[in-house]
Amino acid sequence: MAREGSSDLAKREQRLAYWLLAPTFIILLVIAIYPLFSVFYNSFTNNVFASAAPGEFVGFQNYQRLLSITVRQLPPRLDEAGQPIVDPTTGAVQYESAVTVLPREPIRFRPVTQFDLFGSRFVLGATDPSFIRAVWDTIVFAVVTVFLELMLGMIVALIVNANFKGRSLMRAIILIPWAIPTAVSSQMWAYMLQPNRTGFFNTVFWYLGLGNGEIPFLSDPAWQLPSMIMIDVWKTTPFMALLLLAGLQLIPGDIYEAADVDGAGPVRQFFQLTLPLLKGTIAVALVFRTLDALRVFDLFQIVLGQARYSMASFTYYELIQNRQMGYSSASSVVIFLVLSVFAVIYMRSLGVKSDDH
Amino acid sequence: MTTKTKQRINRILLWVLIVLMAVWMLFPFYWAINSSFKSEGMLAMTPTTFIPRDPVTREVSFFTRNYEAVFTNQAFLRGIVNSVIVATSVTLLSLAIGSFAGFALGKLRYRGKTATLYIILAMTMFPAIAVLTGLYAMINNLGIPPIPSMIITYMLFTLPFTAWVLTAFFRELPTEIFQSAQVDGASPFQTFYLIMLPLTAPALVTTGLLAFIGAWNEYLFALTFTSIAPDARTLPVIIANFPSQFSRQIPFGEIMAGGIISSVPLIVLVFIFQRRIVAGLTAGAVKG
Repeated sequence: MAREGSSDLAKREQRLAYWLLAPTFIILLVIAIYPLFSVFYNSFTNNVFASAAPGEFVGFQNYQRLLSITVRQLPPRLDEAGQPIVDPTTGAVQYESAVTVLPREPIRFRPVTQFDLFGSRFVLGATDPSFIRAVWDTIVFAVVTVFLELMLGMIVALIVNANFKGRSLMRAIILIPWAIPTAVSSQMWAYMLQPNRTGFFNTVFWYLGLGNGEIPFLSDPAWQLPSMIMIDVWKTTPFMALLLLAGLQLIPGDIYEAADVDGAGPVRQFFQLTLPLLKGTIAVALVFRTLDALRVFDLFQIVLGQARYSMASFTYYELIQNRQMGYSSASSVVIFLVLSVFAVIYMRSLGVKSDDH
Repeated sequence: MTTKTKQRINRILLWVLIVLMAVWMLFPFYWAINSSFKSEGMLAMTPTTFIPRDPVTREVSFFTRNYEAVFTNQAFLRGIVNSVIVATSVTLLSLAIGSFAGFALGKLRYRGKTATLYIILAMTMFPAIAVLTGLYAMINNLGIPPIPSMIITYMLFTLPFTAWVLTAFFRELPTEIFQSAQVDGASPFQTFYLIMLPLTAPALVTTGLLAFIGAWNEYLFALTFTSIAPDARTLPVIIANFPSQFSRQIPFGEIMAGGIISSVPLIVLVFIFQRRIVAGLTAGAVKG
């Protein structure tokens, strides 16, 4: 073929490619990039949502209010003689109230939590304790769920990778928790976790002699996160299992035959063959699931509402309930930045095939 | 121990695990079905019962009024219609637009390909919550009604995913088909829709299913954009904030019935297309 002809063809091909990509990129520009920039811009204002009155540019004030934290040592309460007051029944030292040590200017700090370190009592203060708590809860939620999902997902993947009658039925069954709308599964679990014996869990615990049959799973702060984690692990372990299963199926079977000949037992085969060969898949699955867990919204909003926030549900309530567009934009930006870090790690570990021939 | 008994023990152990796993996966769904057949009085029984029982006679009895209530609930019926409209439109639009992009990314040569691939991949992870504020403000300012708003904005997660998965499928098609068609005088676009597109039909089914399920289940945008438009609510929003018409307490029986009805289409899809769904899910996340 003549040189000119082929370069003409190449040009046509390139032009076609741009035309074919245009709709996708225009749509993404309108629904992702433009709103993202407007969120960035709004995060520096005190705009109120759907209000005719224009807001003002406030610089980093929203971020300052969102993210300011401080740690102060809490002095023990002293009696007249200057000795620490000790509770006579429990022997515990009594401390001053946290608000006395936390700064009030320029923005008032409020206590988030107290902890003991090196024999002293410290208090963690924040200008917005709800957000700091939401960040902490979301991180704990993400780390614990992803860890449990990896463990259980591995077991599930190994099972549905084994040969048995009804394997494809089993693979369909594990898709059910994944396919059910989160709104539905959240309501299902909320009902199972009712704070009395009309709920499944309280009834079972009561039959087993655990608890009084009135454990407030969803209103007691100590039970809230474990409950959320339990629901999410049920819902997303199947997805994790499928990712791992895809990795397992890429491992050639003859490796195991060789190991069998060498007399390596199944446990040793798993740790010395399967696990190392699955390292790439596991890494990708972990980052992917962490990204997902960090932006958890449906579950928290439906089951806990405003009793306890995830980062996303905090943002939602700031926007819809309080109409604080500037402030909720700032928390959106924080979420976006945190997730971007993970997204970059994910893309690095995945590697894009750019395969230009 | 002989190898035979060892094998038998392994087999039993495997089945124990299989049964445990199936119970774990299915029990919450069973419980929802169980509760959906209970009246308010039966739901209030302590301890609760594992099959619907009459509170007085303790005999097994199924209460079907929850389903009647749900099917005569105007909000719920409108929710079904809304969900079908939104999910179907999103799926068709994403497939049409995404297959264009997928073909270009997978088969055509052009400058800037690596960059566009990276952008699409990055967009598959784009957190919806990060643009919620901006999107809602934009929709509000332009006065777009909630249903078209949902259809357009859901493409934020369906479109990059569809394009990404289809890219992988297009890439695997032999380049010779493409080249020989061109030699025969077909324009690249003709090669695309006459030859390549039919070959990717299975991939279109897979990605279409996943887009449909994602759109059917979406909650954050639906909740936000319909916060002042109850008539436009989709099923997840209705299930999560069930309008209690008759009962004094939270109508859990009706919620469970509504939840089951809105899950059934998905469960049917899962059982028919299990293989395709699994392939699509993992293609989107694992294979580059």
